[in-house]
Amino acid sequence: MKKGIYSRLALTGIKKNKKLYIPYILTCIGMVMMFYIITFLSSSDMMMNYPGGETMRGILGFGVYVIGFFAVIFLFYTNSFLVRRRKKEFGLYNILGMGKRNIARVMLWETLFIGAFSIAVGMALGVLFSKLAELVMVNIMSMDVTFGVTIDYKAIYYTVVLFAVIFFLILLNSLRQVHLSNPIALLHSENAGEKPPKANWFFAVLGVLILGCAYYLAVTIKDPVTTLAAFFFAVIMVIIATYLIFISGSVAFCKILQKKKNYYYKTNHFVSVSSMSYRMKRNGAGLASICILCTMVLVMISSTVCLYLGKEDSLRERYPRNINITMTSQIYSDLISQDANSIAKMSIETAENMGYSPENFLDYSTLAFVSYIRNGEIVFDDGESGFDYATGDLWQIFMVPLEDYNRITGSKETLENNEVLISTSKDMNYGYDTVSIKGQEPLNIKTKGTNFENNGVDTMQIIPALYIFVPDLGVQIERISQTNAEALETVSRFIGFDLNASDTEQVQVYDAISDNLRNSEIENPDSSLVVSVESASNEKQSFYGLFGGLFFLGIILGIVFIFAAVLIMYYKQISEGYEDQSRFEIMQKVGMTKREIKKSINSQMLTVFFMPLIASGVHLAFAFPMIYKMLILFGLVNKVFLIMVTVGCFLLFALLYMLVYKITSRAYYSIVSGGKEK
Amino acid sequence: MSILEVSGLRKVYTTRLGGNRVEALRNVNFSVENGEYVAIMGESGSGKTTLLNILAALDKPTSGVVVLDGQNLAKIKESQVATFRRDNLGFVFQDFNLLDTFSLEDNIYLPLVLAGRPYREMKERLDPIAQRLGITELLKKYPYEVSGGQKQRAAVARALITNPKLILADEPTGALDSKSTDELLELFGEINKYGQTILMVTHSVKAASHAGRVMFIKDGEVFHQIYRANNTIQQFYQKISDTLTMLATGGDRR
Repeated sequence: MKKGIYSRLALTGIKKNKKLYIPYILTCIGMVMMFYIITFLSSSDMMMNYPGGETMRGILGFGVYVIGFFAVIFLFYTNSFLVRRRKKEFGLYNILGMGKRNIARVMLWETLFIGAFSIAVGMALGVLFSKLAELVMVNIMSMDVTFGVTIDYKAIYYTVVLFAVIFFLILLNSLRQVHLSNPIALLHSENAGEKPPKANWFFAVLGVLILGCAYYLAVTIKDPVTTLAAFFFAVIMVIIATYLIFISGSVAFCKILQKKKNYYYKTNHFVSVSSMSYRMKRNGAGLASICILCTMVLVMISSTVCLYLGKEDSLRERYPRNINITMTSQIYSDLISQDANSIAKMSIETAENMGYSPENFLDYSTLAFVSYIRNGEIVFDDGESGFDYATGDLWQIFMVPLEDYNRITGSKETLENNEVLISTSKDMNYGYDTVSIKGQEPLNIKTKGTNFENNGVDTMQIIPALYIFVPDLGVQIERISQTNAEALETVSRFIGFDLNASDTEQVQVYDAISDNLRNSEIENPDSSLVVSVESASNEKQSFYGLFGGLFFLGIILGIVFIFAAVLIMYYKQISEGYEDQSRFEIMQKVGMTKREIKKSINSQMLTVFFMPLIASGVHLAFAFPMIYKMLILFGLVNKVFLIMVTVGCFLLFALLYMLVYKITSRAYYSIVSGGKEK
Repeated sequence: MSILEVSGLRKVYTTRLGGNRVEALRNVNFSVENGEYVAIMGESGSGKTTLLNILAALDKPTSGVVVLDGQNLAKIKESQVATFRRDNLGFVFQDFNLLDTFSLEDNIYLPLVLAGRPYREMKERLDPIAQRLGITELLKKYPYEVSGGQKQRAAVARALITNPKLILADEPTGALDSKSTDELLELFGEINKYGQTILMVTHSVKAASHAGRVMFIKDGEVFHQIYRANNTIQQFYQKISDTLTMLATGGDRR
C-alpha cells in the first residue's frame, strides 16, 4: 500500500488543483510542440533543395534559440505561481507529519508526471503539426508541396533533452522554496497581512521621463542608419519605463485619486480605486510583462507581415527591372562608347529574338562613391579609418548626367555649369542649398527631388543615397580626379528592361543574355568594360526565402508570445479571484449589492486588462516611425500600406485579446462567486 | 414599542444531494423592544447562525415572518435587500470583516460611501463616534497594523455610523483576548445606554451576562429566556451558568 502513496498524492494534488494545473500542462505541451516544430524545420533537408532555403534555415535556427530561451523563463514563471498557491497544501502535509523529504518526493513525482506527460503529448502533437507547419512554410515560400510525414530524431533528441533539463531546474526551484519555509508560514503563506502600497514618486516620475525620452527619440530620428542603433536603446528604455510606470506610476496615480476626497468617496470610485492600488502593487510587474510581450508580438508580427506582403515591392526596389545589366569601367567614355551601346543592343535583341518584347527601358550612367557630407561639402574619406556609420551624415552619392535624367523623367531641364539637380532616397532630406566637392566651387542646387529611379545599389545599403544630376558628367569626373583622385571609384552604366513573361521564361532570357555576353567577352578580351547581368525572377526565391522565413518566424514567435501573455493573464485572474473572494463576501455583508460588486469588479478588470493593450498600442504607434525607417532598408517605401498593415495587425490582436479576456474573466467570476455559496 | 418581531420562524436545509433534510430552526418566536440589549445563546448547531443570517436578510426562512421596525423582511425586493441592510442594520462579526485594502477610516466610511453620502457629512458623523470608541488616533492605520480589539472597535464604528435600528453582533468577542473582551463588552453596554438596540449571538457566558436579556436556543427553538432585571453582572453571570448547566444536563422546562 505504502509503495504508491507518493505518486498517488502527487496525482490527486494535480487533479484537485486542475484549475491551476491544466493551463500549466497545456503551456508545457505547447512549448514542447513549438520547440520541436521549429527545430524540425530548421534542420529539415527539404529546404536545402530550394533557392532561399538556406536563408530560411538560418533564420529558423535563430528562432530555435529564442524559443528555447523563452521556454526556460516562461515555464519558470508559471511554475513559481503554482508553487506559491500550493504552499498551503504542503504546509498541511508537513503538519500532518510528512517531513520535507517526503514532500520533496511528492514534488518529484509531480514534476515527473507533468514532465513526462507534456513531453510525450507535446512531441506527438509536434510531429503531427510539423507537417502542417511545413505546408504553411512551403506555401509562404511558394515551393512545391511534398507529401509524407517525416520524423526528425535529432530534433526529438534536442527537444527531450532541453525540456528534461527545464523540468529538472523547475523541480530544484520548487524544492528550494519548500525547503526554505516553515510549516506555519506555509499554512498561512497566502494571507499574510499586506502593507498598503506606497507610491514611489521618484520611480514614477523617472518612468514617465524615460518613456518621454524614448518616444522623443523614436519620433525625431531621421535616417535609417542611426535608427538601427537607436532602436535598441529605445527598446531598452521603453521596457524599463514600462516596468517603472506600471509598478510605481500606477500606484502613485491611485494615491493622487485617493487624495481627492470628493472624487474618492464616491460609490463608483471608492472600492475600485483602493483595490486598484493593491492590485497594481501586486500585479504591476506582471502587467508590465504582458504589455511588453504584447508590444513585442505587435512589432514582430506587423513588421514581418509588412515585409512579407511587401516582398514584391522590395524585390522591385532591389532589382528595378526584370533584367538588369550593369557595366562598369575605369573610364567614363568607354561606358558611352559604341562597344557599350552594342552590348545593350545585343541584350535587347536577344530577348526580342526569343519572342518577347522588352519595355520600360532604363539606362543611365553614374559615378558612385560613398562619402560624408558636412555643411554642404562632400568630404572624401581618407580610406584608412573606415566609415563611421553612427554619425548619420554618410551618403551614397550617385552623379548622373543631366541628359539621362531628362530622358528617364521625360523632362527638359537645363543647367548652367555651376548648377545641379539633386534627388534623395530613404525618406531623407538634403539640408543645404549648395553642394560642393572638397576643394572646389560650390554648385547651386536648382531643384530638390526624391526617389529617382533606383538602380538596386541603394537598396542594398543602409545609408541614404544622394543623386546629383550634373550638366556634364565627364567634366565632373575630370575635376574630381584632379583634386581627389584617390576617392574616384569606377563609373557604371545601368541598363534595365521589363519583359512580359513568366518567371521561367525570364530566367531563360537571362541565361541567353549571359551566354551572349560571355561570347562577346571572349571576342573582345581587351575591352575595359566589366559587364554583369541580373534577373529579378532568378533572385526571387532567395528573396522569398528571407522574407518568408522572417514572416514564418514572426508568426511562430508571435503565437508563442501570445500563449505566454494569455497564460499570465489567466493566472492573474485566478490568483486575484482567490484574493478577492473573501473581500467581496465582506462587502456583501456590509451592504453592497451584487450589482455594485459586479460593476466594481468589471471596471477593475477592464482597467487591469486593457491597460497593457492600450499601452502596447501607444508603444507601437511611437515605434512605427522607427520600424518604418528600418523597413525602408528592405526597400519598403509605401508608408500608407505599412500603416494599414500595422493597424490591421493591432486590430486583429486586440480582437484576440478581447476573446482571452472573455474566457479568463469567466474563470475569475466563477471563483469569486464560488466563495459566496460557501 | 418592539423594533423586531419574529414569529413562527422555520428553516429547513436540504443537503446538496437532496437526500437529508435538516431542520435548523423549528419554531422561533420572540420580539425585541427598542433600546433592548439581547443575547442569544446556544450550543453549536443549535441554529444561532441561521437565525442571525435570516435576521440580517442574508438568508430566507422556509416559513415564518420577520418584521423589523414595521417592515416585513420577506416583502423587500431582492434588489432592495442590500440597501435595506445598509440603512437599517449594523453588523459586528467575530472575525471583524474589515477590508485590508482600506484604512480603518475608509472601512468605517464604506457603508456611507455605498449610500452615496458626501464626504463632509461622513466626516461629521465619524468624529464623535471615533472619539467615543477611542480610535481617533488609529483612523489612518490599516487593519494589519492594529490589534484585534482595535479592529473590533473599528468594526463597531462601522456598524454605528449609519445610525442603524438594530446592531447584529455575531460572536463579537470570539477572537479577542480577555482585556479586549472586557473593553468591548463595556462599550456595548455604553452604546446600549445611549439607546442603541443590540442583538448579540454568543457562546460566551461573560458576553451574555452584559446583556439585559438572554435567550437560549436549543434544537431550533427558543427554549428559555432570563432577564437581568436588577441583578449585577456577577449575579447574572451565575444565573446564566446555572441555566446552561441545567440545559446541558437535560433538564426539561416543559
